[in-house]
Order: sequence, then structure tokens, then C-alpha cells
Amino acid sequence: MDPLDDNLPRRQVLKAAVAAGGVSALSACLDMASSEPVPTGDPNAKPSRQHAWREYIRHDEHGNSQLPKHQILLYIIFDEDGQPSADTRLILEQALTGLDRAYEWSHKGLLHSIAYSPSYFERFDQSLPENVDLPRPTALSPFESPTFDTQDAVIHLASDRADVVLEAEQALRGEQDQVNGVSVEARLTDVATIDSRRTGFVGAGLPAQHQDAAGIPDSNPVPEASPLFMGFEAGFKGNQATEDYVTIQNGPFAGATTKVIANLRQRLDDWYDEQSFEERVTEMFSPGHADKGLVKGVGSNLGSDSGIDQFIGDIESDAKAHNRVGHAQKAARANRDADGNVKLLRRHFESTDDIGSDQKVASLHFPSLQRRITDFEDVRRAMNGTDLTKVTPAIRQRVNNGILEYIFVRRRGNFLVPPRRHREVPTPQPES
Amino acid sequence: MEMSGTGKQGDYAFGLMYSYAHRFWNVNGDSVSKTEIQNGDDVHLMATVWDPETMTVLPETGLSVEIYRDDSLVSQEAIYPMLSQPMGFHYGANFGLDGDGEYTVRLSVGALPTRRSGAFQGRFSEPTTVEIPFEYSQQAKEEIMVKQMEDESGTPGAVDPMKMEMMPSSTAPAEDDLPGRVIGSGMSNDAKFVVTVLDTPPAGIDGDGQYVAVSARSRYNRMILPAMGLEGTLSRGGETVYEGEFVRTLDPDLNYHYGAVVTGVEPGDKLLLQTTVQPQTARHEGYETAFGGLMGGMEDVTITAE
Ligand code: HEM
Ligand SMILES: [Cu+2]
Repeated sequence: MDPLDDNLPRRQVLKAAVAAGGVSALSACLDMASSEPVPTGDPNAKPSRQHAWREYIRHDEHGNSQLPKHQILLYIIFDEDGQPSADTRLILEQALTGLDRAYEWSHKGLLHSIAYSPSYFERFDQSLPENVDLPRPTALSPFESPTFDTQDAVIHLASDRADVVLEAEQALRGEQDQVNGVSVEARLTDVATIDSRRTGFVGAGLPAQHQDAAGIPDSNPVPEASPLFMGFEAGFKGNQATEDYVTIQNGPFAGATTKVIANLRQRLDDWYDEQSFEERVTEMFSPGHADKGLVKGVGSNLGSDSGIDQFIGDIESDAKAHNRVGHAQKAARANRDADGNVKLLRRHFESTDDIGSDQKVASLHFPSLQRRITDFEDVRRAMNGTDLTKVTPAIRQRVNNGILEYIFVRRRGNFLVPPRRHREVPTPQPES
Repeated sequence: MEMSGTGKQGDYAFGLMYSYAHRFWNVNGDSVSKTEIQNGDDVHLMATVWDPETMTVLPETGLSVEIYRDDSLVSQEAIYPMLSQPMGFHYGANFGLDGDGEYTVRLSVGALPTRRSGAFQGRFSEPTTVEIPFEYSQQAKEEIMVKQMEDESGTPGAVDPMKMEMMPSSTAPAEDDLPGRVIGSGMSNDAKFVVTVLDTPPAGIDGDGQYVAVSARSRYNRMILPAMGLEGTLSRGGETVYEGEFVRTLDPDLNYHYGAVVTGVEPGDKLLLQTTVQPQTARHEGYETAFGGLMGGMEDVTITAE
């Protein structure tokens, strides 16, 4: 049990502390945090994949993954030009191994990973193996012009404990001599600069607590039970790829996966104030879900699958008959392989970061794992529903077209999450 | 209504205007719902997007608005296409602001989803953004309201369209200016469908035969009526010559229209036009029962070719 759950004001302070960061935030947080000890870790007992979360986090009663509540993304640029030196490798290794030692690999401890961008691999003359699909990020809809994250790498810290992600960040910055009783031997910031820091939270209660952010109407519409600002659960087991499925199987990067991280601003005034619950179900899932009353409340009643597959074929007739189409319905069209397997493993979490300002604005950090970046691109394009705007003028570029009216993409970056054995500044063709 | 400013970027020119908050009717298919002025709505912001080369207004693209005050976000929304008597086609929404002063408005346009022909092929295919400064004062806004009421009193039919010097209005070409041979016209719920026939389809439209273009405009002001679903049946002596969709198309000469390629049109042919979806644009007051609107749909039109 997580005692943080039972105390709303405390929950708020902890989340605010993660967003603010820094030593004082951490001490505020430590005062508030659970006195339950955080389990320490053993570097030799970690899974071989950096993206291995599923077995190490909470699940709900339907077997759906419950993502770690507090998360931080640190976008870094290595200080040296060209190929990273042995020194950089050593410092990075010590810094990451320090985290491994300080925390158990779980939601009670810390899940962490480092992933590398196409720009990082351009430091080398060699190219990546054929089977690693890692293009530079690009605009994926006809109406977005995001800023691309082309830093060298992104470090992802995730835990159910706000104090843990904060402390882990402090360790990387060398602002603590020891974390969780383990001494800090190297600091990442000796070899790299943190170019951008992003934070977030996910899980029932947290979005409701932070609905004072800009982008959410004053009517306090976000249900306490919702893990996300938009009022529904996401990431049902049956609608997610497995970790095995998104893992690159062969070659020097066997055990790796690719990761797209987008940041989207959310503008939910019309979502909540102009639309009925049925209309929200229609636009999030499908008109069929609304007609048949399949979604109750935040959608926990769906169990372990949204049931979207039965409505994919109806999308054009839905567009004509209902003048609206669903987000999940559109995306699912491109999210199955020939054998019916789901292609993407979405791990998105909420935020009040407004990258580039200090304002609190509702947003979403959207990490998605897939074997190939191209898989993500295909699904995202299917979600644009451009084809459906031709079927009827009622479906417009962003209006009546799933949830596109309410989300505004601001950033996108593409990354390779190497297997643990290659996590320290890999070359494009590491020796297995 | 007051002009705030204009901007140009890529293939697009933008105009930003504002007025006092308005109520309007949203249209989704045939369902029409009233959007009342909300507490805290200060202005009705309006934007027009056009091609600076031909001064053709571009309807049917997605448009979103960000409003900033001193770098701090005041609002952001995808705004709706709308029809009003004084403005014709525009994009608009009501917004709340943070009091009098200087704002920055960012207008973002998406790639145009409408089929394009002639010199418009390949154009308007990238999204773009412009920034336009926006000065707001409550007093100035109230003056607009007073002036508007004076202008409106005692005008029969539709209110006269506003003329904005810096930007084109969204009017369809006059019948005489339409390319091709105009074979007739018909009226449906204050929408006038003018039908012209070109000997060959405009460049970029596949198919052999003649091109039938339906130019839909408001009865009194000749404002384009975009975003309809239109089906047509062309028959000759009881035989069907063509039956199918008239595709939403933007052409530099025909302007916005609905077009189909047919083998040929002869005098005496009958063209039945059926609006399957009324213009998917919100309606300002005065247009809530025109072109469908609260009437639920639009009557069929039959034209006998001259
Ligand atoms: C604020 C933003 C978003 C919210 C709140 C959201 C929420 C949801 C919800 C509630 C579902 C249905 C339940 C489920 O299967 O998980 C869903 C499905 C899905 N969403 Fe999103 N989503 C957002 C943005 C995106 C984006 C940007 C993508 C990009 C590709 C995306 C891709 C998908 C996919 C692939 C599915 C599953 C469809 C299937 O069954 O295959 N979503 N989303
Ligand atoms: Cu308007």
C-alpha cells in the first residue's frame, strides 16, 4: 500500500515538488513522504531490457499495467563533440550503476532508462544496423509544426514515490552525496548538460488534484477516479503491445526498443463544457461505444480490453451516421499487424509543464514504445483521420475527428532504448 | 467588427478581426446546437485565410488560435468555420481575455484537405503559423456594438456585407464571371446553386468528359457555402447519365465549388442536386435557419440545362 494515496494535500505537495525540482523541493518532499523505507537494488539483479516495466509495476484487478505515479524526463547533451570518450562512458556507467544500487527495480524503487536520438548516432561514421529503424522526428499530421527534440539522449526516471525520482535526479546532478543510503560516485552533469527537464504524474487522483492548471475549465470536471485529465482510463492490456513484441529481436541491438516521446498541450474547455459524456465516449472510443453504453465512468468496466476491434470496420458508416469518429477507433486501424497483434506500447503520463515557460498548463508526455519508429508514424497518421474528412464534411481536420480538437502537439523526439548491456554511449554497431 | 491586423506566411495570408461576443449555432451533420455567450467571454475573434496571389478565400482548412499576453498563454483553441451576414465565411470563436491591453495572437492553419485544381494543385499543402498583435479595450469593443446596432436597424433581407480594405471577401464569382457555360441555377433554402459546364475538367482532376461545377452561394450576398455533402443525378430523357458525388474542390477560376466529371451535358438534360450534408459551418444570428441550419436540411434542386 502506498500511504501517499490517503492524503490529498500531501499528494499535491509531492507532485509540485517533482515539478519544481531542486534540493529544497526534495527536502520539502522528504518531510512529507512516506517513512516506509525504499528498497535498495542490486546492479546484477536488473532485467536485461531497460524498458522492462510490466513485471515490476502494479497491475489493476484486470491485469492492466498501472504506470509509476511520478516521472521525470531529462533531455541531455554530451559536452564533448564527436564520438564520446572512454571518460564519458565511465562516468555515465558509474552514475547509472549508482542508481541501480540505490533502488530496487520496481515502482517502489526506481525504473530508469537512457535512450539515444538519431542526432547522437550521427556523431559516428558508421550507421545503425538495418533492423534498427530510427529516423529523425518529423511532423506527423497536416496541422502540426512541433519543435523537435534532437538532444543526444533522454533519461527517464519513474517511481510511485515522488521523493525517489527527485532524489535520483539529484544524484545524477551530483547534488547529493548519497541517495537511499548509497553513496553517489559520479555525476552525469560532469559529462553532459541537462538541456530540458520535464515532469509528470499519472494515476487516479493526481489529475483531479491538478486540474487548476490552464487548459482545464473551472468547473473541476476531472473525475477523482481518472488516471488522466481527459477523464478515461487508457492502456488496457488488450490494446497494448507486449514488451516482447516491441523488442528488437536480432543483431547488436537485440533487446532494444524504439521510443517516441511527444509533448501535447491539452485544451479541455470544450471537451468538458460543450460535450456530454456520450459525446466524449464517442470521440474518445467510438460511436458504437456510446450507442451501446459500453463505457461507465472512467471506463474501468471495460476490463482488460477497450473492445475497439469490433468497431474498426464501421468507421466510415459511423462518420456518415454520427458525424463523429472515435480516437481509439481511428488509431486502432493501423495498430494491428497481420496476425492481429497490437504494435504500440503507450506509456503516456500527465503534466502541468508548459515547456519554455513557468506557467502551469495541462499537457501530456507521450512516450510510446514500438519495434520500429515507422510503426508509431503509421498509427499516428491513421489517428489524423484525413481520409474521413473526405467521407463527410461533418468530419473536419480537427473537429468531430476523435480528440484532435483538444490536443496540440508541441514537441517530438525519437530515440533508441538500447538493452542494458549497451546503455552507456553505444556505438551504432556495438559488439554483442 | 474591428480589424486587428493581417499577416502573411508561406502560401497563406491571414486577417484577424474582433467584435463583442456573439452567440452562434454549431452544426454537426443535421444537428444544430446553440452556443450561448459564456460568462467571461470578452470577444468574438474572427480570422480569414486567403491566397495572397489570387485573393481567394480558403475555407475548410483547420484553424487554431493561441492568445498570449506577455508570453503567458491566455487561451488556445481549434476554432470553427462560420457564416455570418456581414462577414460571410470566416473562422471564429468567443474568447475570454485578461483585460485591456496588448495581446499576441498566433493563427495556425493546417494543410488544406479540399481537392485543388489548376494552379492551386500542390499549393496550401503545408501547415503554417503567423503572429498578429491584438490590442483590446473594452471601451472600443462597446463602441463596435453601438455602431453595429445602428447599422442593422431597418435593413431588409440580409445585412450588407462588410468591406474590409485589407482582405478579400468570401464571395463566389458572379454568374457572368464563371468559366464555362452556365446551364442554369436553382435555389434551396436561401442557397443558390449556379451550375456551369466546362468542356474538359480543370487540370488535376482525373476523368474524360465535361466538368460540371456547382457554385453554391448565399442568395443575397453571393457568399460561398462550403463544406456541404452534395450528390447529383444527371438524366437525359429518363436515362441516367451520371449519378454520384460532387466533390468539394477549390480552383482559381471557379473558386470553391462542387464538381463532377460527366460524359457530356446537353440542352434539356435534367440535373437533380441533393444536399446530403448541409454546410458544416457554424451560423451567426440571422443565418441560423438558412442553408439548412435549424431547418434540419436543404431541399433538392432540379435544373434543366439550357
Ligand atoms: C491527451 C492525449 C490522449 C489521450 C487522453 C488518449 C487516450 C486514449 C484512450 C482513453 C484510449 C482508449 C483506451 C486504450 O486503448 O488505451 C486510447 C487509445 C489509443 N490511443 Fe490515445 N490518447 C491520447 C493521445 C494519443 C496519441 C497522440 C496517440 C498517437 C499515436 C494515441 C494512440 C492511441 C492508440 C494507438 C490507442 C489504441 C487503439 C487500439 O486499440 O489499437 N493516443 N487513447
Ligand atoms: Cu463568427
